Amino acid sequence: MSSTLIAEDLTCNYGNLCAVDSMNIDVGNEIFGLLGPNGSGKTTTVLMFTTLLEPTKGTASVCGIDVVKYPKKVREHISYVPQDMALDVRLTGRENVRFFAELYGVSRPKEMTDEVIGVLDLAERADDYVKTYSGGMRRRLELAQALVHDPQVLFLDEPTVGLDVAARRKIWDHIRSLKKKGMTVFVTTHYMDEADRNCDRIAFIDKGRVRKCDTPASLKTIISGDIIVATIKGNFSFSNIPDIRFIGQQEDEITFLAHDGQRASELIHREVLSQGLTLHSLYVRKPTLDDVFLHLVDDNEDTRPMNMSTYRNMLGKRR
Amino acid sequence: MNAIIIYCVRDLIRWFRGKWGFISALVAPAAWLIFVGLALPVTFTDNYLAFVTPGILVMTTLSASMQGGALIIMDKILGFYNKFMALPPSRESILFGKILVTTIRGIIQSTIILVLAFLLGVPIYSPLQIIGVYLILILFGCLLSSVTTTLAISIGEHDSYAAVTAMITMPLFFTSSAMMPYSSMPEWLRIPAHINPLSIAIDSIRDVTAGLIPGQSILILVILTIFVVSINVKLFRRVKL
Ligand SMILES: Nc1ncnc2c1ncn2[C@@H]1O[C@H](COP(=O)(O)OP(=O)(O)O)[C@@H](O)[C@H]1O
Ligand SMILES: [Mg+2]
Repeated sequence: MSSTLIAEDLTCNYGNLCAVDSMNIDVGNEIFGLLGPNGSGKTTTVLMFTTLLEPTKGTASVCGIDVVKYPKKVREHISYVPQDMALDVRLTGRENVRFFAELYGVSRPKEMTDEVIGVLDLAERADDYVKTYSGGMRRRLELAQALVHDPQVLFLDEPTVGLDVAARRKIWDHIRSLKKKGMTVFVTTHYMDEADRNCDRIAFIDKGRVRKCDTPASLKTIISGDIIVATIKGNFSFSNIPDIRFIGQQEDEITFLAHDGQRASELIHREVLSQGLTLHSLYVRKPTLDDVFLHLVDDNEDTRPMNMSTYRNMLGKRR
Repeated sequence: MNAIIIYCVRDLIRWFRGKWGFISALVAPAAWLIFVGLALPVTFTDNYLAFVTPGILVMTTLSASMQGGALIIMDKILGFYNKFMALPPSRESILFGKILVTTIRGIIQSTIILVLAFLLGVPIYSPLQIIGVYLILILFGCLLSSVTTTLAISIGEHDSYAAVTAMITMPLFFTSSAMMPYSSMPEWLRIPAHINPLSIAIDSIRDVTAGLIPGQSILILVILTIFVVSINVKLFRRVKL
């Protein structure tokens, strides 16, 4: 597989804060997800790849072109949709896209504009002012602007944040169809489930460091076994039940990891009752990327049970 | 099409569509012309309107530039910068687009003033004089809009920028030769009025309408403009996201 994006020892400091720390990634022709909580350095990474921010150290290249040495050349190959939406609300959807087509210098701006507007299902409303567009439509319009010059690499920074479920699914459908057409898509998100379903490969980033980079399926094999989630009323003290690992607690909800979920849940049930507490619910599920992420981050710190609720907030988990 | 023009056209369309901003930009200078030109009791001339018209033209260019400077801040605050900077055209074209659109806005407003002034009894300029007046206004518009965009970029925040421009505009206007000739000014005002850049533009327009060619003043304006634009480009390259 030939590499489209390469980062070698890529580092960015803001003053004393190291936002991206010696990143090494190698992205081929795929949907590559950079996954991590808020403040982990995702946007900073994208800014360096898109030539908007000079790395403090290390190198980055796009289609084999160095981002520091030939920024203009790099910009001809890419499109970038930032995290925060920016559209001219007093212009129509079509005018917004046409404006970008002209800035990119595409050869037939009018035809290309009409084409991408059609592809992103915006044709019906294309001549309405953007003022009247919903959040999902605005995101698709931004995608249309980015796609109007048919880039080789598309950078999307948190493309689904703030959208409802249907709009989110639609965005991901478009992203997947772009990959089918041969585009490389570099996407950041803090939604583990979306990355799991849609990315070919994922890099976990935390505090500026890439912890692990692999396919979602292999990442999930890092944790073998079942996850048991118990909702317990009262103060449960976790005295060592053999073969069961405590993962975390969020309010009344306690998460465990065990090889055999069925057996473990029986043991947990018994333990809860023996402590004189009430068990509200108990279920077994397969590990998700969330669990893997927590596990990986946990490995690098101590083994003390971490506070799940803080992490869930950081992960932006939607429940 | 050139990126500077594309950026400029976008801002023009947004200006037209933002109805009230556009209407007020056309009404406000007209109000100035009428109230100042017709209402002030003056003795040094019998056609004060004709005397004050160059002053109002330059004042209009000034206020257009002040408003234009805010455009670049708004683009930054609203996140357009981030998108534009990742596009192939050179980043300076964003800046030059702003200078161009601000100058055009000033010229459109000045045209309204000029037409109104002729309707209200100012003797109509010859075609050559009109060309001269526009040349000076365009030059001065470029100068002022690069000053205001420089100001905007270095202040970097909308409220502070608005405060600074409010503070500068009035004093600059009243210490210029817009309202009265140097000979009618109080002693202490003459020196500030002579070095006031607005006066340079106003006096050149008066020279042109009197049939003279103000070569020296135009040269000063050209040099100032080149100087300010080059500072502006340097600042803009260093600007943080
Ligand atoms: N311009 C900046 N100046 C100083 N610190 C910054 C700046 N931008 C981001 N940071 C810090 O760098 C870290 C990484 O930020 P960012 O890349 O935006 O993370 P993410 O996109 O993953 O949420 C955060 O701790 C953030 O506060
Ligand atoms: Mg971010």
